Amino acid sequence: MPERRSHSMPEALPGSIPAEGAVVASRLPVGLRRVPRGVDELATEHLVVNMGPQHPSTHGVLHILLELDGEEVIAAEASLGYLHRGIEKLAESRRYNQITTLVDRADYASGIHSEWAYALAVEELLGIEAPPKAQWIRALMGEINRLASHLLWYGTFGLDSGAMGPFLYCMRDREALLDILETVTGQRMMFNYVRPGGVAMDLPPEAEPMIRKFVAGFPRALSEFHDLITGNEIIQARIKGIGTIDAQTALAFGMTGGCLRGAGVPWDVRTAKPYGPYQQLDFSVPLGTVGDTWDRYMVRMEEMEQSLRMVGQLLEGIPEGEHMAKVPKVLRPPAGEAYACVESPRGELGIHLVSDGSDTPARMRMRSPALYNLSVIDEVLPGCLIADVVVIVGSLDIVLGEIDR
Amino acid sequence: MSEGVEPSTDAPRTTGLGELTRVGASELAGTLASMWAEGGFRMLVDLFGSDTGEGIEITYHLRDVGSGREAGVRCAVPYDGEVPSVWERFPAALYPERELAEMFGVRLVGHPNPKRLLTTDEIDGFPLRKDATLREHSELARPGIRRGGGGGA
Repeated sequence: MPERRSHSMPEALPGSIPAEGAVVASRLPVGLRRVPRGVDELATEHLVVNMGPQHPSTHGVLHILLELDGEEVIAAEASLGYLHRGIEKLAESRRYNQITTLVDRADYASGIHSEWAYALAVEELLGIEAPPKAQWIRALMGEINRLASHLLWYGTFGLDSGAMGPFLYCMRDREALLDILETVTGQRMMFNYVRPGGVAMDLPPEAEPMIRKFVAGFPRALSEFHDLITGNEIIQARIKGIGTIDAQTALAFGMTGGCLRGAGVPWDVRTAKPYGPYQQLDFSVPLGTVGDTWDRYMVRMEEMEQSLRMVGQLLEGIPEGEHMAKVPKVLRPPAGEAYACVESPRGELGIHLVSDGSDTPARMRMRSPALYNLSVIDEVLPGCLIADVVVIVGSLDIVLGEIDR
Repeated sequence: MSEGVEPSTDAPRTTGLGELTRVGASELAGTLASMWAEGGFRMLVDLFGSDTGEGIEITYHLRDVGSGREAGVRCAVPYDGEVPSVWERFPAALYPERELAEMFGVRLVGHPNPKRLLTTDEIDGFPLRKDATLREHSELARPGIRRGGGGGA
């Protein structure tokens, strides 16, 4: 197999950065301890370990190069691109209504949210709004998808921190959620359900009893999950106090979602820039305090409770009406640009669309929350033990499909 | 166009980025630094390029999380031009700047780790430039398999 990439990009010109990365803290105005740098400048006695892309706990195909001094990480660098499919480029040759199938393959664990952000951006360009019923169905499916995604994270986080059991139980409940999604959208993942103008199909009558059954049964499962991990002293000793990312660092690295709220910053797109029906729902935004792995864990566990509350409210409140606005078969938005974002399970997922008035976008940019959340490893992993790397990366809840696009 | 959609007659507009400022490449670092220090914009939401046909246009999307204000800064550079890295104020730029360089072929100045992010060294050209085409049907075609897609390559 040919070597995947060399470690230099000759045309790039490093500027005035000191080679050793020993920049004084005062020069770094954002609270960084060191200059983030790659692992190639080897010091003696340091070992470079390739973690991934086939490591059991790298969530897909993450490849991290670790420079180690004994068990301590000196530098860490993510080597990305194994799942790069060129979604942004492909979008430039697809019609507007073909692109939903591209964006939901980016974050395959929560496709509804990618489609939703894309639909909002196209609607913004067109100057239309989806009918209220469509917006409520989007939110209902979005919260169900968020629960499914958080459950997947919960299970894999258990595996990362050494607990096998949670993975088996979370899959049981995720299966019920995927059944609901399949009943409503026709697909278990990659739904192509939320489209510019509304949603593809109305809620089928058999979906409501399934959702009610889930809402009734899930609180018990959630307390089971808390019993399995949250109250376990071994896990608490394992994950408390490691991977601490304070609010300043989290903002500086552009982190969003549970990672940012774990650091205590109350930024949630659903409340800060409300879209869909979220203004009419009663829910709270859980926050952490110090921003360690435990805080990120607790924030996501609380978020599941809030999502469950919202699913109940959304099911009761779905208004009557159309599920799709009247949009033409071929969309030709007027020239302009729009940025629309939603709160995906991983954070702020944004779509920036540039239209030149034709039937394909001139440019589509996907703001991937997991890319920014992952970029903090340059800063947070140095100084950690190698065993903690797995737990910390697990707590960031990354999906490589979305990072690589 | 069917009923229900009112065609907009406005001039091209930009929504969702806040107030958009255009600066030259030489003023970019200074503008962003003063927005960080005086404007309170501590978060770089996103950084991306686009090919306008005359050069590369880079957009910096900033946010002040406390007040929710947003602002966009846009900088046009020629193809193969130089872009100063803004990582010292906005470490969030570390990854997307590398993506910008490999996708559009601009050169990063002052980046601590200016490698490729998503692609390999073997690829030719810069994928997100408009002159980089997708492969033609004939290059992909096998008998009996049709390529989907709208505009085509």
